[in-house]
Amino acid sequence: MTEDSAGAEMIPEEMIESETEQKSITRRDFFSSASTGVALGAGLLLSANPQGAWAAPTAKSGGSAGHAAIPPGWSNAFHPAATAPLYPPRGAPKAGEKIHEFDIEVGISVHEIVPGIKIHAFTYNGTYPGPEIRVPEGDWVLVNFTNKTSEFHTIHWHGIVLANEMDGVPNGTQWGTGPGETFKYLFRAQPAGTHFYHCHNMTNLHVQAGMFGALIIEPRDPKEDLVRKVFPYEREYTMLLSEVDTVMVEGQMERMMKEMGVMQKMNESPKLMKEMNGGMMGWFANKKAFLDSVKSGYIPPYVAPRAGRYPAPNFNFFMINGRSYPMTDEMMIRSGENIRVRLIGAGAMPHYMHLHGHDFWHVCQDGSPLQAPIRLNTVPVFPGTTTDIIIQGTNPGMWHFHDHSDIASTNNGIFPGGMMTMLMYEDAAQHGVKVPEIVQVSS
Amino acid sequence: MKLKNRFSFSATTLGMLLTSNGWAIQPQPVPVPEDSSVSPQINISGVGIATGSYGRRAGQSRPKSLIDYEDSTLQIGAAQSLYKGAIGSMGFGMLTLGNEGEPGNTPFFLSQAFLDYQGEKIEFLVGRSDNPTAHLVDFPTLRDDDLHTLNNPLNPLSNGTLAQDHRYSNVAAVTLNQGLKFFENVHAQQLVDSAGIQSSPGINSYGATFQYLSTPGMEAFSKFPSLGLGVEHLTSVGAASSGLYQIYGGGVMNLNESVTDRWDIRALDIVSVGSDLRSFSNARDTFEANSNTLSAALRYMHSPFGRAGYQLSLTAGYKNYFRVRSSRSAGFALTYVKRLGEGFDFVAQYQGQYRKASLSAAESGSLAFEQTGEVGFSFNWDATFNQHLSPRRTILNQQYQYVPN
Repeated sequence: MTEDSAGAEMIPEEMIESETEQKSITRRDFFSSASTGVALGAGLLLSANPQGAWAAPTAKSGGSAGHAAIPPGWSNAFHPAATAPLYPPRGAPKAGEKIHEFDIEVGISVHEIVPGIKIHAFTYNGTYPGPEIRVPEGDWVLVNFTNKTSEFHTIHWHGIVLANEMDGVPNGTQWGTGPGETFKYLFRAQPAGTHFYHCHNMTNLHVQAGMFGALIIEPRDPKEDLVRKVFPYEREYTMLLSEVDTVMVEGQMERMMKEMGVMQKMNESPKLMKEMNGGMMGWFANKKAFLDSVKSGYIPPYVAPRAGRYPAPNFNFFMINGRSYPMTDEMMIRSGENIRVRLIGAGAMPHYMHLHGHDFWHVCQDGSPLQAPIRLNTVPVFPGTTTDIIIQGTNPGMWHFHDHSDIASTNNGIFPGGMMTMLMYEDAAQHGVKVPEIVQVSS
Repeated sequence: MKLKNRFSFSATTLGMLLTSNGWAIQPQPVPVPEDSSVSPQINISGVGIATGSYGRRAGQSRPKSLIDYEDSTLQIGAAQSLYKGAIGSMGFGMLTLGNEGEPGNTPFFLSQAFLDYQGEKIEFLVGRSDNPTAHLVDFPTLRDDDLHTLNNPLNPLSNGTLAQDHRYSNVAAVTLNQGLKFFENVHAQQLVDSAGIQSSPGINSYGATFQYLSTPGMEAFSKFPSLGLGVEHLTSVGAASSGLYQIYGGGVMNLNESVTDRWDIRALDIVSVGSDLRSFSNARDTFEANSNTLSAALRYMHSPFGRAGYQLSLTAGYKNYFRVRSSRSAGFALTYVKRLGEGFDFVAQYQGQYRKASLSAAESGSLAFEQTGEVGFSFNWDATFNQHLSPRRTILNQQYQYVPN
């Protein structure tokens, strides 16, 4: 069980010998200033009208609601072949190409959502969510993924155009990475933009339990960053939006731990391995094996009605980067400054992120720049999507930014809480704003 | 496949709560008003067991057939998450007495009415609940009273009518644990005094137990899934002027390494000393007299696909009294349980107990060999509402830091 599994075989030795950058992943400070660079659109979403007059919106001029006219330099012209990958997804690294190598381990940690609420979690490198991976477009990414739990796990690279075998779907593109195993994921970072990664085994449970993280692919040439050219910015924030049913996670993790613990013990004993059969895990070689087991006494679990202890999730905590208000980190801004916010729908629910006192520009969707920025004050972030917005420092104060589906603005049903944070002007007082910073945990 | 609950707090009040008039469901005032929006977790569970049996029992001159529903329970529990990671709960429940109940008396026995406070490493329990001596080793018989004089520390204040006198008591207990694997329990009890020995009710027993439990869910892979020992001091009872001492110890051992065809053996030895009795005048004396009791059970459980299919077990016990002549006893129970669906089983059992003359005269109406055969069904179920607490003794809590939810 300690041998590298199939993923390693995908990587020719010579690929690893190229220039490799060993990069240690540490937990990112979610709301600290991040590195520069944004997506250069490789796949384009909308049809183009590149000649439209467009002026970079300012605090005074703004733009009308909906699509802005396409600005000069926002060369996001429609091309029918634009969704084709920039680099061959099945290629191999050549000498001189850069490989960013990461070690990611999945283990079990205790995660605190808000003071007093802790859960057991499956975590990538001990953090909930996992560490942010940020690489330039076109570079290679090598991830040594080691499973330190008794469960099966994978990493699915959501939104990345890569070789089929690297897609991280258990029993689909790979066998799930078992206890003690290491799987090597190798892919070329493309397309540029905001993406994420998550476990694709028992996704409903494992994502709630913390197995997701941001994957930011920066444009190879930052000067060609459409967003930055039109909205010059220095600071950016990544927000992974998700939710959790703490009771379900605790109960199902425990059940899985027991089942997998039994399987692992049986694996370790030649005598017990002889007893093992498909019915123990609900795995059968084929339809005939399944039917034969039924004839010899196997009773499929669906025969018993399921209305008991583990119904559909009843989410009770809604989180930004694994924390609920008031423990979410604030976004800092100054008057006249642009900040970029990358919103990632990592969970199972849509979230409608609303900013008080401002309109903002929706500039990218699923990593790619829109045909033209859209002026909004509430943007939906659906499961599996990413949305980039630009907030402009036009109205000094302390402003709420939250999911306007208000059930998600609660902690265990108590308002305020949940998926909420603050846009805080560092120079608010200089502009005469007297609103104090208040933390409220109940109404 | 376990038919007898470890903490069988039952609830017969549920039906009354749901059907009674509004005035009847108003709780009594409490010193500190509660927040009605913070509702507790509710657990309702029950064990239904009903068998048709045939045999000759204590006091019967010839064999008889009867329908036996004893030990059916209905239980309700409520639990709340408390400050600083603690859990508070209560349990209330009753069980049926079946044919042992005196005509005209209540057919129910109050088995549970307790409050419990659990922290990570310490637990306090106060109220009517399981006698702390009763579950060091649970035997795979159908009911609590099967062979109970051979596999259970006995209550010398019982008049011998109800086996429940030995298994439930009013108790105040503190339990410490290390890693949710090792448990030390110190307790004081007010044993059921159905014989009317005490002039007025009061604490009449003190004791301590130590128990080891292996990782939950991994019992099949541990050589010893459970081990324990205990000592009980019963104060000023009958002919024991300075009190009785009961010392007991036992556990469960797996005989083979198997998931599909599991064999295990369990054993319990009980030594009772401190009594001056040299003869029996009634059943109560047989619970007090100095004795040694050894019980054991061999169990086979067939689980072809990792889930229980059927279980066959043989339980046997032997008892001898140190100072009373012609008083030895031996018994056995051959028990079969076939799972018919989730929690619902077909059950069958043949049991017999032999008593020598002095013992049979006091305990079984001079019947030397008592034997019965029975077949029927059992249904073990539970439902949880408003769940916000998980069991404490979990793999996650044992191995990955304690989280009280």
